[in-house]
Parts: sequence; structure tokens; C-alpha cells
Amino acid sequence: MTLSAITQQSVGAGIFSSAFLLSILIWLPVIVAVGIAIMPNPRGRYDTLIKQIAFFANLVTMFILFIAYNQFENFLPTMQYEEKIAWLPAIGVTYHLGVDGPGIAMLMLSGLVGIASVLASIGIRERVRTYFALLLLAQASVNGAIVARDMFVLILFWGASIVPIALLILGWGGPRRVGAAWRLVGYWGLGTAALAVGVLALYAVTGGRTFDMDTLLGTAQSPRIQIGVSIAMIVAGATRLPLFPLHGWLRDALAEAPVGVAVVVSGAASRLGAFLLLRVVIGAEPAAAHLLSPVLAALAALTVGYAALAAIRSVDIRHAGAYLAMVPGGITLLGLAAISPLGIAGSVLSLFTGGLAAALIAGVCATVSERAQTRSLLLLSGLAPRMPNIAWIFLLAAFALLGVPVFASFASEVMTFFGAFKTQPIGAFAVAIGLAITAVALAALLGRVLFGSPNSDAPGVSDAALGETWYLGILAGALLWIGLFPGGPKIPGTDTPLFDPGFVSQIAAGVSDITSNYTLPASAAPAAQ
Amino acid sequence: MRYAVLVPEALVVALAVVVLLAGRFGWMPRTSRAYLPQVTALIVLVAFGIELWAGASVTTYFGGALIQDRFALFAKAAALLTAAIALAATDWAAEDSLHIGIAMPLLSAFGVMVAASAGDMLGLWAGLELAAAAAVVMVSLRRPDLALRLLLVGGVATGLILFGLAFLYATTGNSDLSAIRDVLANRAPTLALALPMLLLAAGLAVRAGLAPFHVAGLPAGVGASPLGAGLVVGLTAVAAGTVAIKLVTALIPIPAVYMLYADVLAAVAMVGGGAAALAVRSPRPRLAYLAVGQLGWVTAGLATHYRSGIAASLFLLGAFAIAATCGPALLGRAEGGEPAIAGLGAVRPVRAAGIGLAMLSLAGAPPLAGFFGELTVAAALAQSGNFVLLGLGLLGSVMSIAAVIGTLRVLYIQSPLEEARRGAAAALPAVTGLSTAGAVAFCVVIAAYGVFGNPILGLADQGAEALGLR
Repeated sequence: MTLSAITQQSVGAGIFSSAFLLSILIWLPVIVAVGIAIMPNPRGRYDTLIKQIAFFANLVTMFILFIAYNQFENFLPTMQYEEKIAWLPAIGVTYHLGVDGPGIAMLMLSGLVGIASVLASIGIRERVRTYFALLLLAQASVNGAIVARDMFVLILFWGASIVPIALLILGWGGPRRVGAAWRLVGYWGLGTAALAVGVLALYAVTGGRTFDMDTLLGTAQSPRIQIGVSIAMIVAGATRLPLFPLHGWLRDALAEAPVGVAVVVSGAASRLGAFLLLRVVIGAEPAAAHLLSPVLAALAALTVGYAALAAIRSVDIRHAGAYLAMVPGGITLLGLAAISPLGIAGSVLSLFTGGLAAALIAGVCATVSERAQTRSLLLLSGLAPRMPNIAWIFLLAAFALLGVPVFASFASEVMTFFGAFKTQPIGAFAVAIGLAITAVALAALLGRVLFGSPNSDAPGVSDAALGETWYLGILAGALLWIGLFPGGPKIPGTDTPLFDPGFVSQIAAGVSDITSNYTLPASAAPAAQ
Repeated sequence: MRYAVLVPEALVVALAVVVLLAGRFGWMPRTSRAYLPQVTALIVLVAFGIELWAGASVTTYFGGALIQDRFALFAKAAALLTAAIALAATDWAAEDSLHIGIAMPLLSAFGVMVAASAGDMLGLWAGLELAAAAAVVMVSLRRPDLALRLLLVGGVATGLILFGLAFLYATTGNSDLSAIRDVLANRAPTLALALPMLLLAAGLAVRAGLAPFHVAGLPAGVGASPLGAGLVVGLTAVAAGTVAIKLVTALIPIPAVYMLYADVLAAVAMVGGGAAALAVRSPRPRLAYLAVGQLGWVTAGLATHYRSGIAASLFLLGAFAIAATCGPALLGRAEGGEPAIAGLGAVRPVRAAGIGLAMLSLAGAPPLAGFFGELTVAAALAQSGNFVLLGLGLLGSVMSIAAVIGTLRVLYIQSPLEEARRGAAAALPAVTGLSTAGAVAFCVVIAAYGVFGNPILGLADQGAEALGLR
């Protein structure tokens, strides 16, 4: 069963529309960030107000996003909520935005992660105004990169996230923040340069008239060009997702960043890497995708295996959390490497579920370290009785990461593996082994930190505060909700959606268009079987 | 009405002369002096308005020695806007002389305007020398030793440029730029043309402070007053860039004679500027090296020898002019290195925002003016198939952005120095209505340059077309 087979029109689809809906999702956070930045705040008098403004800005964004999600017409393969304004016609730049199914999945992820990151940042005490302004700018740049339908606009938003995130780590990070921030800038900068080279190569070979994705990605290229562009895009995606061996920034960035920033980076900003590979390599360069799919599968296997082994060897809970947050990216990549409709559909779902699971595991590890006043796994032991809320959420995070049934990640992993075992059996097997090692790493981590014998030498421990419980709860709850109601809750006795048209239905829009290059013709299908 | 186009030049020169004479002979009462920067900035803005209004007409003056076309309109408008914002944003308490400090940016902008509308070699040279001489005067007010050094370096540059122009004249038999292009239309590249281009490229690189020639002149600029540094790093380089664009378009029929020089200079400047910006920590040298890196991008656009590349260079040169000239002026007294600007975001938020945006724009960080300009050049490089230069440029930009993040950290995340520990070298910039308005105007222009870039890039494209590129 593919995602497209279960699409359905939601009640009231298309009633609400705004010519600038996607622009609102980008520019509302920017406007609020500028407002916060210039707001007088003598001696931190309005710190609480600033936090509330940032929270409600995210809430309003999420509300608008939920309307967009609800009104999304999943039976249409085309882009929706499109905005197209000529920007720099002399070089063919248009302010072109739009979303399809994968895009709406990424936007929902970004919205949820945005709310979670603000709640996770409630404990920020220093330079509150600057912190929340930068956080909102980072979120806006992620939203912009998701909805960009012009490659120039994509480079703009892709690169724009580097400065605020680096400053957030430099300003509010842990003791090794300087090295962490420089590594992030180096890797992400390299990725942005690779993205620019790939885009400009496409621009040049298509005649240098436009940066519009419809043209750049819709024009058939020679296999040589496809491979060159795809390699550049894989470098760009691998630095962001991240994938082994371009993961050098991840451990320190996630371990040293403040919790809210770690949630944004691991949850939404890093998923852009996989989203780029889906859009460009899989969606538009079929010859290169066929040729490079074993490489992608190998990268997926190396990433998952390396992350799991590194997590086992870690003696710092935040390092372990950072490595574990790499695992969903590898699974998403495996789905892309499958270049089969089921695998790609699974990877689209895993963009969302993997983002949430990565944010959840990175966030919960960070929260445990803050509440236990130490990051050392040599000291953290037997915490479950003393932090029951966090213990529960830690368990949920582990289950979500492993793709246990009832979590949305279960569906995405099943689809990914079913799709991949057919076309990339060695890669899929290797990733499965990596996932088994991840389970061992998680079991060891949980066993030691939560259920080991209490350590009398460890510093004092407290359970999660309300904000922390909420942000972790939102991430875990979203994974559970979609795991339990993939098609959305229905009015009893009918097939009519209640208020959620069904996440799995909504994100299917446009996937068939991406997978059409990899679908066997009807006449060839029986022969292939 | 025919001469309305020359009104901005007349206004700028007259204003500079009047201000200089008023300072020399004490015509102005002490109480009125405080309003001099406001009035000057306002008059320059009026000149900018007149340029935009009247400059759209295409005409020639003095037998073709001065040409008013879209290229001239773009470059002159950029110089006037730069001068107006720089005069407004400057912390006049940190300058050595009010009258000279006001007059020299005006004369430097006039030099750029002359070079932009020059129809022959003489006009190009005169404009460049005028812009550079004004910078020497500014440096001499604070550091006569450095001014002497700048003068000597400038002399070498002038010699190289003059030799190059003389060779070019001897080879083509013309000093008129359009006539040179016509003569070269059917010529093959020869050593007799390659040699003057080498001299010209070296001379212009020294004038502009392009790496590796920046070691000669740049330290002089860094030792000057804030506005003096702005003239050395910004407007003088803009004049050199303007001359380079006009010369390149005259030689466009045989690009082989200059492309290699442009490629090498661009590569060294882009990577060297970024690396040097990363290596230094003091804000003013860092800003100067960022400017070197961006000037490398301007040169890279010339290396494409396409209309789109020249237009992109011009578009970027406009962004560079504003950021590189006003950036040092916004920095104010920062001789004390990083501690001088530590925590400036908390105590001088508008000025700190201006410094941050100037540096980010020079580094090519999105979504500011420099980013749009550099990506426009990058698009032209891609079209010309020069992916090596493109890759080096992107590498330089990544290093530049990393360097700027270090300065932003100091501006916004470090705590300000205690007042008792602030010496004269780290004194806080004075807050006046004019300097705040200037900083706000700068931020708006830098942020809006690309966002509302269509008419600007369109004008730059028409400017490239006006130079005879199709």
C-alpha cells in the first residue's frame, strides 16, 4: 500500500486561502524577532514578556500552519499556497513559494519544534531579548528553506540559518561552545557552498534564465550533469542532516547548545538536508539517483552504525543524545536510496517522525543533564524514582527512535525498510543491524541512567519543570498521535475526518509525482515480480 | 535643462569648497558648526535626488569627455548616497577636523562621479586620483606618517596606471574609451596589449587595496580616523572599481588580454580577504579585510567578460560602496581592538546593528546587500563556466562569515567594558540624532538593497548595456 492509495479530501478543503499564507510563516517570526530586538528591556524587566511574545508568535504561526494543513488538498499533485512574484528578473530570480505533501510535513515539524524550542528555553536568564530574537530568526529561515520554490530563495534561507544558530551556541552554550559553533559554521558553510555550486551549475546548463525550481528541476539533464549536481547536493545534505563522514559538527553543537537550540537544530534545521536530497536528487535527477543510490544506502548504513557505536562509547549523556539523534537521518536516507515508491513515501514520513524523534532524544538527554546537574554517565544512575516525568518521556523517546508500534516512526520505518529491502538489500540489512546496535545503546543508556543503582556521590536531582514537561510532551505526543491516528480521527460511524484530515493522507500529495520516475510501467510490473 | 545633469557634481564640489573655506577662515560661528553635518548630508541627499531625476537622460558633455549614461547614473547615485549616509552616521566627536572631515568625503565622491562619467582615459585617471587624494588628506590629519606611506603607495599605483594607459594609447592610437573598443574590435590579443593591462591591473589593485597589494595601503587606512578609514577602504576602492569596469568594457573585444589577471586577482582577494578577516580580531582591520574579499567578487564579475557579469559587478560595487565606506564610520573609535566594541549592542544598539550589518554584507551573508551582489556575480561566473573561481569565492565568503560571527559575538554577547576601564581608544561613540538617523538609514539601505533589488539590478544591467555590452 502506498501513501497515494489512501489519500482523501478533507472536509472544507480549500475554503481558507491567503495569497500570502506561506510568507506569513516566514515573515511573522522575522517581524516579531525585529520587534523583540528593538524593544526596550531595562535590566531585564520585560524578560517574561519577551518569552511570552516568542511563545505566542510560535503559537500563532502554528495555528496558521494548522489551518493550512487542514485545508491542504491532498488529491492535488501540484504545489499549493503558491506565491510567485518577480524579484530580480535580470537574473531570473522569483520570490516563489509553495508546498506539497513533503513540504507540509516539514512545515508541521518546524511548527511543533518551534513551540517546543521556546518552551525549552524558558530557563534562559541572560540576554533574553537577543536569545529569542535569534531563535525566531533561525525558525523563520528554516521555514523559508522548506517552502522555497526558487533555488536562489532556497540558498538565501538555507544560508541564513547559520548566523543565528552559531550565535545562539556561542552566546548561551556550554563550556566548549566556541569550538562547537566554529565547527557548525564550517560544516554548514561548506554545505551552503556545495548547494550554491550545484544550483549554479543547474542554472548555467539550463541557459541561465531562471532559478525557478520548476525549470531547473524540470528540465532533463545529461547523466553527467545529473551526477555532478547530485554529488554537490549530497555534500550539502550530508553536512546538514548530518551523515557520516560529514557529521563533525553534530556532537559538540548538540551537546553544547542550549536545550531550545539543540531541539531546533536536531529537529527541524537538520531535516532540511534530507528534504533537499528528496527534492533535487530523488525528485529531479533520476539517472543520478539510480547510479548513486548504493552510495546513499552505504552512507545511511555508515551513519546509523557509527551513531549507534559512538553512543555506546559515550560517557557524556549529551554526546550520547547527539549521536542517537543521527539515527533517524540515516533511516530517512535509506528510504531515499530505495528509489521505490514505498521507500520514498516512508522517507517522507520519516522526515517528520525522524525530526521529532531526534529532537526528543536530544532534548531529553539535555534536560536530564540539566536536572541532574551533570552530564557524566559515570555519575548518572538510578534517576527514575527521582525524576519520574523525565523517565517516562525518556522511555517514549527511546521507543520512538527505535520505531516501536504506536509511534509514528513505526510506520515510517516499516515503509522505509519494506521499500529498501527490495532494491537495496545490503544497505537495508546494514541499517537494520545499526538499528539493533542503537537498541543496545538505548537499553544500556536507559538501564544505567534510569534504572541503575542510585549514585550517592551524584549531585542533587530534580524532575522536569512544567515547561520542560510540556516541550517534551508535545514532541512525544505528536509522534503518538500520528502513530495512533495516521488517517486522523473520524466522526464515529462515518469516514469523515473530525478535525485532523490525517497526517499520512495530507503528506502524500505530490509524493506520487516524485516517485513517478521510479514506478515500473504496468506492463513491466508482473515480469519484474 | 541640458546641464541639470551636472548639478549634483556642482553641488558637491561647491559644498566641499565652501566648507573648506569656512573652516579655514572661520566664517561659521561655533554654535552653527554643530549643524554643519546635518546640512551637508541634506544637501548631498538633494544632489542624490537630482541625480535620480535628471540623470536618466543620456547625453555627452565637453566633446564626449563626460558621458551621462545609465552606468554613470548608477555609479554617481551610489557615490552620493554613500557620502550622505557616511556623513550622517559618523561620530564627529571621533574625527580630527569637522570641516576637512566633511569636505573630503564630498571630494572623494566627486572623484567617483568623474570616473563614472568619464569618456576617455584622462577622466578616468583624474577621477581616481581625486578620490584617492581626499583619502590621503583624511589620513594625514591623524597620522602624517601613514599618510606619507599612503601617498607613496598611491604614487606607485599612479605610475603603473599612467604607464598602462600610455601603452594602451600607443597601441590603439586613441584615448577615447568607445574608440578604443572600436579599434580593438578586429584585433587579436597581443603582448603589446597584455603588457599595459598587467600594469593597469597592478596599479588598480594597489589603489583598491586588493590582496596581495593591500599590505601596502590598507594599514594606512586602518590608522586613520573612522571616516578616513571609510574613504581608504570604501570610496577609493569604489573609484578604482569604476575605472576597472570602464576599462574592461573598452577592452571587451579581446578579453584574453586581461582575463587571466582578473582571475588571479579575484581569487587571491576573495580567499585572502576571507582568510585574513578570520585571522585578525580587531574590528577595523577585520572590516577592511572583509572589504578586500568583497572587492575580489567585484573583480570576479569582470573576469566573466559578459554583460551579466559586468552588471553583477556594478550591482555589487554599489552594495560594497555603502558598506565599506559607512562601516568604519559606524565603528567609530575602535582603536582599542575588540574590547572597544564589546557589548555595544546593549549600550549603542542602533550603531551596533549598523556595524553588524556592514560586516555581514561585506562577508556576503544572506539576506543582505552583499549576498545579493555576490550571488549575482556567482550566477555570471557559472554562466561563463568558471567554477574554480566560483568555488574559491564561496570558500572566501564562508571564511568571511565565520569571521563576522566572531565580531557579532563581541558586539552582542560579551559584556561592555566598565566606564572606568575605557580609554580614549575604546570610548563609546557619541549618540546624536543625526548619527542615529544615519545608522538607521544605513541599516535600511543594506537590508533593502537586495530585497527591493529589482530596480537597482535593472539599472546596473542598463549601465552595463550603456557601456556597449550586449
